[in-house]
Amino acid sequence: MIAPSRGIVKLQQASHKLLASGGRRSGHRGIASLAQTICDPIQSYVSDSNDPYLNLSIEHYLLQKSPPDSTILFLYTNRPCIVIGRNQNPWLEVNLGILKAGSSTTAKEDGQPVIGNVDLVRRRSGGGTVFHDEGNVNWSVICPPTDFTRDKHAEMVVRALRKLGIDRARVNERHDIVLDQGNRNGRSDPQDTHRTPYTVDDGAGPRPLKVSGSAYKLTRNRALHHGTCLLRSPNLQAIPQYLHSPAKPYLKARGVESVSSPIANIGLSNQAFQKQVQDEFARMHSGVPAAIAVDESLLSTPEISKGYDELRALDWTYSQTPQFTLFSHPETDEDPHAPVHDHLDTSPVPWLHPKIPINFKVQHGAILDVGSSKMSNQELEVLSTLKDQRIQELEKLTDELEGEEDDNSKAVRPIANWLGAMLPIVHV
Amino acid sequence: MASRLPIARAARQFASSAARRPSAPVEFSCRRWQAAPALQSRLFSVSAAVREKQYTEDHEWIEKSADGKTYTLGISEYAAHALGDVVYIELPQIDLEVSESDAIGAVESVKSASDINTPVSGTVTEVNKVLEEKPAQINKDPEGEGWIAKIAVTEEPTGKLMTEEEYKAFTED
Repeated sequence: MIAPSRGIVKLQQASHKLLASGGRRSGHRGIASLAQTICDPIQSYVSDSNDPYLNLSIEHYLLQKSPPDSTILFLYTNRPCIVIGRNQNPWLEVNLGILKAGSSTTAKEDGQPVIGNVDLVRRRSGGGTVFHDEGNVNWSVICPPTDFTRDKHAEMVVRALRKLGIDRARVNERHDIVLDQGNRNGRSDPQDTHRTPYTVDDGAGPRPLKVSGSAYKLTRNRALHHGTCLLRSPNLQAIPQYLHSPAKPYLKARGVESVSSPIANIGLSNQAFQKQVQDEFARMHSGVPAAIAVDESLLSTPEISKGYDELRALDWTYSQTPQFTLFSHPETDEDPHAPVHDHLDTSPVPWLHPKIPINFKVQHGAILDVGSSKMSNQELEVLSTLKDQRIQELEKLTDELEGEEDDNSKAVRPIANWLGAMLPIVHV
Repeated sequence: MASRLPIARAARQFASSAARRPSAPVEFSCRRWQAAPALQSRLFSVSAAVREKQYTEDHEWIEKSADGKTYTLGISEYAAHALGDVVYIELPQIDLEVSESDAIGAVESVKSASDINTPVSGTVTEVNKVLEEKPAQINKDPEGEGWIAKIAVTEEPTGKLMTEEEYKAFTED
């Protein structure tokens, strides 16, 4: 993994910024090192940074470096970003074209505002793809494996939400938090975090709306459970557009595919939610200290800086994608003139008929194999120049081919252009 | 409901027994407990001549090849059951040099990426490619067709290893 060392970050005087739980003192910088607190049996942090790469790196550092028997709460909010699971395919999960276009996302008819720059992040935990923005608070609990269950801390968050009056909140069978949408149909045990008075049987009423998704990372000594919590995202209506890849019908992927769910905002302020989660965490553990603010000054910790660079590297985000195959034509091709393979329809290469299927096997971020059942060996030979081509360097290839006039270059050019359109890379 | 599923229960048990293992030689930054003497358990010394599966407290198994040069590594039936449906297995690279207790790969199930740790030091010589395409194989036959990797050993394992019987008692504990 590429991890070029960052420039020396000016070491700040470690100043413990103790906060009243949930509160934030403005004008103060976060601490420059976690050395003072990371040995404590119970720790609580809140990030002042909205950089998703930094927050995930701090979280990973806490997972790796804290004592096995300690328990940690870490709360953070990221700027708009899409976070994919450890073993997911970004081209399958995300509409990278609109990420690449940045601010040029088409405003929807209802006048939905444009989101602007949205980062793509591959996290280290499992699970599916989620959208984060300033109206979403991430909660993360790191604990000994002995204390771990997949529901324990989702239940903690549900108790916090209920104390804030969100009585429709419960943990569902996927370990997510949902808001029941049914009519009040009776009483339920207020202590039961898996049922509300609004819970209806599957299919018997309106579908619950998801407000929080869970993912886990389990190491030898530690268990990490982190989840999102949609409070007041201004981007709810745009999210499906971001999480729908136009390349999906053309891809067959190994790894983990997301399960999409209808989502909703809870309608609480970030501060109220944070405070309540901290209070609930304090109820579960004795001796929880006031939350400590952290921010980008932690980049002076070499391990955090290294993790930060790793998460930002294209090699991590793209080349860690499990093996997949890209087909020139979707398997059920109902619309042969779908815009995504316009490039093939207008191919200047005489032998490359628009209906001739080609498939590209991609592994470790590079083309492993090019195949077609309908091409001659000679034709395949021409295409084999694409073997070992790194997806990250497709743009470079198309630029190089642009000026070339030989037959091979002219043959490969439209395919390379098409590959680039199907498998975009968004630079950090 | 989720918390009442057998898998959730099993995962809890799995996790709890995993935690009873003595501190691993992993880098931690806290002297306070780092200083605590690691319980180097050598109670179960291994005879090189015996070819049978041995189990770790992390719920992995190893088996020595006939020539004694290679160990095959996998996860136990117990672990496979506790993990739930495995949807992806991140295998180590061939020729990767590994040290005892290193995470050499990971298994994804139920939104969890769980590290696979090696109880032996050496070089990865082979990985079970079948698992790349059929991760569910590890649920079906974790101690046979679902093996994960083969490691050419540089030194004999020093961590605690159990016989099948001892491991059975350990998981029932």
